Amino acid sequence: MPADEIRDASDPMLVVAIGRYRQEALAEAYRRHAGAVFALSRRLLIDRNLAEEVVQEVFLRLWHRPEKFDPDRGSLRSFLLAQTHGRSVDILRSEVSRRRREERDARETAEADYDIEHAVVDMAVADDVRQAMAVLPVGERAAIELAYFGGHTYREVAALLDEPEGTVKSRIRSGLRRLRTVLVDTGIGA
Amino acid sequence: MMSTNFSHQDIVELLGAFALDAVDDDERDVIEAHLAGCPRCRAEVEGHRETAALLAHSGERAPENVWDRIAEALDEAPPALDLTRLTPRRPAAPRTIPLRMAAVTMAVAAAVTLFLGVALGRNDDGRLGRLEEQITALQKPAVANAAYAALADPKAEHVELASVDGKGTARVVRLPDGTGYLVPANLPKLPAGRVYQLWAVRSDAKISLGVLGAAPEVTAFRMNGPVAAYAVTDEAAGGVAQSQNQPVVVGYVKA
Repeated sequence: MPADEIRDASDPMLVVAIGRYRQEALAEAYRRHAGAVFALSRRLLIDRNLAEEVVQEVFLRLWHRPEKFDPDRGSLRSFLLAQTHGRSVDILRSEVSRRRREERDARETAEADYDIEHAVVDMAVADDVRQAMAVLPVGERAAIELAYFGGHTYREVAALLDEPEGTVKSRIRSGLRRLRTVLVDTGIGA
Repeated sequence: MMSTNFSHQDIVELLGAFALDAVDDDERDVIEAHLAGCPRCRAEVEGHRETAALLAHSGERAPENVWDRIAEALDEAPPALDLTRLTPRRPAAPRTIPLRMAAVTMAVAAAVTLFLGVALGRNDDGRLGRLEEQITALQKPAVANAAYAALADPKAEHVELASVDGKGTARVVRLPDGTGYLVPANLPKLPAGRVYQLWAVRSDAKISLGVLGAAPEVTAFRMNGPVAAYAVTDEAAGGVAQSQNQPVVVGYVKA
């Protein structure tokens, strides 16, 4: 693939070119997806430097292990974002656990209250997605936001919302399915 | 608390939370093991992740300073196999391999045998191989048509490649703009773990033009500047930065 075709190449073709050690293909993948990768990581970690480290890690991993991407199993965007989310949550949880050990249980409640407000009010998502989220029942929306943007486990979400764990895990799943339908209807997820 | 004896229904109910990294570690391990053997649950998780990816969508710009750090780290990565260094985005010396040989006029083909092989860690038989096959299938007609058009172009450089016994053959055609094609005619399919690799041989260096796989089809490459010969070698899967193998087929550019 000549260099000038890189810009027009599909995402799977870029990954093939990355497999052949073509840096400009990685640069193009970065141009297309690093904004979303950075935004998600920053949303979770708040700290810009930590988020940048995640971005670096995710793209270097794509460079070294391009075969991990399977186009039959989803888009490159969702592949990169799933890694971004997983890595960010790992960092968040290790930070949180360290902090928790230091601060003891007494402060946890106050922290948790802050998190709910933070996650629900300050969503860093596009307007159309915000609208789609708005059609979800409140319980589903809160569960998804706290899990995805807050980096909480469903058990933590249950504790934060004072709901049974079983209810929360069902709401995350039904909310994601409902959201999919809405986003496909509005053409965003088509 | 969940234990390791999950019913299928228990697992299904956790798939949404799992897709958002919102399960505990022990649950994650159980679900991952289950997914390996359950395509339906796997498809559901993939669907949830696609949805989540839409939620994450944001207009934020990619941080440029981070790209600079990534690009720096790539320089320490395994050596480029193909045309990366021939068409660099940033100014960089072309990746050429110095030829430790005084007289080269008679020994261009022998040059192929001079270098220590450096195996690279990419497995052509892995997922990337499959991905490549899928895309190659889509692109095949376009590449083949372009190659046949080039073969008919009188301005193009035409080189016949042949094996010592004359059985294996291939043809290279290169247009004045540097776009080239390898058209294999009779290259036997290689066993698992082996791949063909195409090289441009110059008087001072030998440049990899790409790893061709075990059963090469018409392949495009890019190479600017004079070339003395083209050679195809048989290498370990993933290709090598420098080859010490005799070429399977070789052809000299007519002066």
